[in-house]
Amino acid sequence: MIELRQVWKVFLNGRREVVALRGVSLSVRRGETVAVVGPSGSGKSTLLNLIGGLDRPSRGRILLEGRNLAELDDDELALVRREKIGFVFQFFHLLPTLTCVENVALPLHLRGWSRRSAEARARELLALVGLGERLDHLPEELSGGERQRVAIARALAANPPVLLADEPTGNLDTRTGAEILTLLADLHTRLGTTMLIVTHDAQVARACARVVTLRDGQIVGDSSIQGP
Amino acid sequence: MLLARLSWAYLKKHRLRWALTIAGVALGVAVLVAMRLANQAVLSSFQRTVQGIAGRTQLQVHAGDLGFPEEVLERVQALPEVAAAAPVIEAALDTGLPGQGYLLVVGVDMTGDRSIRDYEFDSGEEAILDDPLVFLAQPDSIIVTREFAERNGLGVGSRIPLGTAQGTRWFTVRGIMRPGGLSQAFGGNLAVMDVYALQYVLGRGRRFDRIDVALREGISLEQGERALRQALGPGFEIEPPSARGRHFEAILRSFSLTLNITSLFAVLVGMFLIYNSFSVAVTQRRAEIGILRALGADRSTIRRLFLSEAAVAGLVGALAGAAAGWLMAQWVASYVGRLMQEAYGVVQNVEGAPADWRLLVGGAGVGVLASVVAAWIPARAAARVDPVLALQKGRHQVLSAGEYRVRRWLAGVAAGGAALLLTAGRSPAWFYAGYVLIVLAALWLTPALARGLARGLRPLLAWLRPVEGGLAVDSLLQAPRRTSATVAALMLSLAMVVGFGGVARSIYDSLVEWVETTLNPDLFVTPNAEIANRTYVVPAELGAEVERVPGVRQVQLVRSARVPYQGVPVLLVAADVAKLARTVRRRPIEGDPEDMHRRTAAGEATIVSESFARLRGLRVGDVVELPAPKGLLRLPIAGIVRDYSDQQGTLLIDRALYRTWWDDDTVNVIRVYLAPGASAAEVKRAILEQCGRGRRLFVLANEEVRRYIFRLADQWFGMTYNQIAVAILVAVLGVVNTLTVSITDRRRELGLLLAVGGLRPQVRRTIWMEALAIGLIGLLLGLALGAVNLYYSLEMTRRDLAGLSLDYVFPASLAAWLIPVILGAAFLAALGPAAAAVRGSPAEALEYE
Repeated sequence: MIELRQVWKVFLNGRREVVALRGVSLSVRRGETVAVVGPSGSGKSTLLNLIGGLDRPSRGRILLEGRNLAELDDDELALVRREKIGFVFQFFHLLPTLTCVENVALPLHLRGWSRRSAEARARELLALVGLGERLDHLPEELSGGERQRVAIARALAANPPVLLADEPTGNLDTRTGAEILTLLADLHTRLGTTMLIVTHDAQVARACARVVTLRDGQIVGDSSIQGP
Repeated sequence: MLLARLSWAYLKKHRLRWALTIAGVALGVAVLVAMRLANQAVLSSFQRTVQGIAGRTQLQVHAGDLGFPEEVLERVQALPEVAAAAPVIEAALDTGLPGQGYLLVVGVDMTGDRSIRDYEFDSGEEAILDDPLVFLAQPDSIIVTREFAERNGLGVGSRIPLGTAQGTRWFTVRGIMRPGGLSQAFGGNLAVMDVYALQYVLGRGRRFDRIDVALREGISLEQGERALRQALGPGFEIEPPSARGRHFEAILRSFSLTLNITSLFAVLVGMFLIYNSFSVAVTQRRAEIGILRALGADRSTIRRLFLSEAAVAGLVGALAGAAAGWLMAQWVASYVGRLMQEAYGVVQNVEGAPADWRLLVGGAGVGVLASVVAAWIPARAAARVDPVLALQKGRHQVLSAGEYRVRRWLAGVAAGGAALLLTAGRSPAWFYAGYVLIVLAALWLTPALARGLARGLRPLLAWLRPVEGGLAVDSLLQAPRRTSATVAALMLSLAMVVGFGGVARSIYDSLVEWVETTLNPDLFVTPNAEIANRTYVVPAELGAEVERVPGVRQVQLVRSARVPYQGVPVLLVAADVAKLARTVRRRPIEGDPEDMHRRTAAGEATIVSESFARLRGLRVGDVVELPAPKGLLRLPIAGIVRDYSDQQGTLLIDRALYRTWWDDDTVNVIRVYLAPGASAAEVKRAILEQCGRGRRLFVLANEEVRRYIFRLADQWFGMTYNQIAVAILVAVLGVVNTLTVSITDRRRELGLLLAVGGLRPQVRRTIWMEALAIGLIGLLLGLALGAVNLYYSLEMTRRDLAGLSLDYVFPASLAAWLIPVILGAAFLAALGPAAAAVRGSPAEALEYE
């Protein structure tokens, strides 16, 4: 499903080169849930951005369902994001001027769905994440947990095969974080989506079948956790 | 649809900015539409007058404003191709009736004019045309239109005053014309009288202005024209009546060009505001763009989103602008009409500007197009937003060392290219390409220059307020993209201000020099109330009478009038050149001052104005072929001088030569130099007493003529001053706009400053100082680019606009005035954002997303 081969990412900070990833190789099977853990600056978010086609590697290959993302141009990457990837961010990144339904319908709208069918699908998804009563609320009228549920619904709107989450519980209190985690696990069970979750949170990592540990841009651990 | 919701939500949140942006487009379209409609109204008013008077005229014979002797009529009438030929004199005379202004008096030969024109009278008055002796026997007879008669309560037998060469005379209304045809000319302010009586009224002697010709059946226009040309020689223009519109347009050329530049400037201002607003919008909506990109929106979707917004803003602004432009045109048309009268001596009765749907729709189309074009660069920038950076606050404001290097390199190449084009390029396209390159070089270099100047300002600001000054400079240095956007906006606006102001200053200085060296007589004696008007003339003998007045040392006789030169009217000035050479001390642009005056005084050459030479690519030694009633007068150019009497150019010849070729001994200005110690007021009184009896005569002191010329110049520059004011306004708006964004962008950073112990007054002062620093940097760069822009503007004036080579004079007083204005504006612009920055709690600011 996802395969990284000797991926390097180097940033220029002024005249100084900062190496964010050093020859990372990783394989993720369809339907797997993988937690990416590691200290700040270890390259977790960079890895997620590369897999999600938000950025390009400096070297190496990133294969998503057999296509090398490193070779795609900007608009082709946009198409990959549209068709294959759902993103969940730490800070939700909902559009504050759109209602919950509209936020969720947005990716479908970008795919050319009619407004009516996009909103019908958005309502279904919002019901699925437990926000069937909050359809026409603006993000500012929701709690942090509710906002993240909307973001998850949006990420899943077009039924993407891959869901990438960057610290999905990082901006939530423990109880709400646990609820979001349960929701993600539930959705994974129901939809079979491949999930990569960047996290600092051991509880989140434990909820995933596999944990990849990054340090200084390299994978220093890759372990599978047996389910209960 | 959902994307439109995003646009609408942003618009609602920033109503004021959008209102300003739409107002910018509306302003551009309004000025464009108003100027075009007004210009069109003036031209069509002239055309209506021409058509109304022309009647069945197929060809007109004329020789410019100077007219020609009566004998020409017989030569025309003798041609077998000609069915009817009627002499005409036209003059706009002051009626002296309250609120009626000028009356266009058409002098015709009542015995034969009905073969050319139809006169329909109110009942019972036809007899006056059947018996033309009424007019011959009673030269005070006049026919007016019913409209004019009703407006002034006139009937047959009523008497009206008219200014004549012999002073004010009373004329008796002998007939009233029904509306239609001739009556519609000059907005109905028209009168007809006997052409020979009008000769006397105007003091023009036995001359006609033109001959209207109807050809025999079966004779084509070409055949008629050929026959007339053969019979009359090269000194006459033979054209259909419609050609007079072209002459009028030629006189208006410079003015129309100014109107077009004003329109273009207004559209550019609108575009600048759109560009500025969309650049700001892209900065503010980076996160939104980032989210859309992360969700799979491709670049074209983002670009379309912004361009659609621009199109909608453009459409709203353009529709409002088209409506406002139509309203403005009513006022502009009468302003243009007045200016025509005062500056060109062409009296026009312009009655409003009717709506022209094609022009209104076209203007609106230009508004939408300009809006979309202006938003193109910000839309492109939005489409290129890196989704990863967009979702990280502040990162986009940083410029990498590589980016600085590339920009410096591009700027160097552009500046080098501009220098090369300026020195090696000869065609206008190269010159303008060089101009564009210079502006691009300045824009590419702005971040580096702004950074350098900010560093240079650090000691000064730190000396003023050690903490706040340092923080202000740091903020500028840490966000070069944001800083340079504001600075660039300010720089471009100020460069425009300096360019416009500098050209106005240079023209003004040249005008002063011209007035001082050329218009230096103590008094001007003229039969016309305004020096630019040449309706009335006086006989040359008046010069001798004036010279005999005690206190007068010398008089110089001048006859000036527009004559056709290669189909364009230019000003011919016939004067006593030998005398002129002793009193006028102007430096020639080309030619030897002694030689040019000597040869011109001898009737062997002509001295031409710079505009005449440049607009036609002529040099000293080239031969000018001037059509005169006696043939084609060929004169070599002996000198080229600065002269602002006419925008299409001036030719100076000696009066003796003029008398020979034009058979005319009249004058319209007598230049009077006083004896030492003589009082101008006393001599003026004496001239009026001794020479003014039974004559229309005005004696203008040098100061009055100067005032008149500078008043005209001020009217002319009125639009330039408006442009300067708008450019300053745009500069101020640019500062307010970008500074507001800058503060919004930095709420988190400012919250942090408060959180670590910064006091609210300190934060406020930091923002104020930052604004002042931006203002100062923009001012320095704007004045520097303005100095370059002024050079290009003067070159444009020389090459393509007026043919004037103007001295480079940097508008230092304007620049000095701009310093407090811009710094004040920057400070005022910072007040609101600074207050907003410290209003909330630091915690709230730190959480700001």
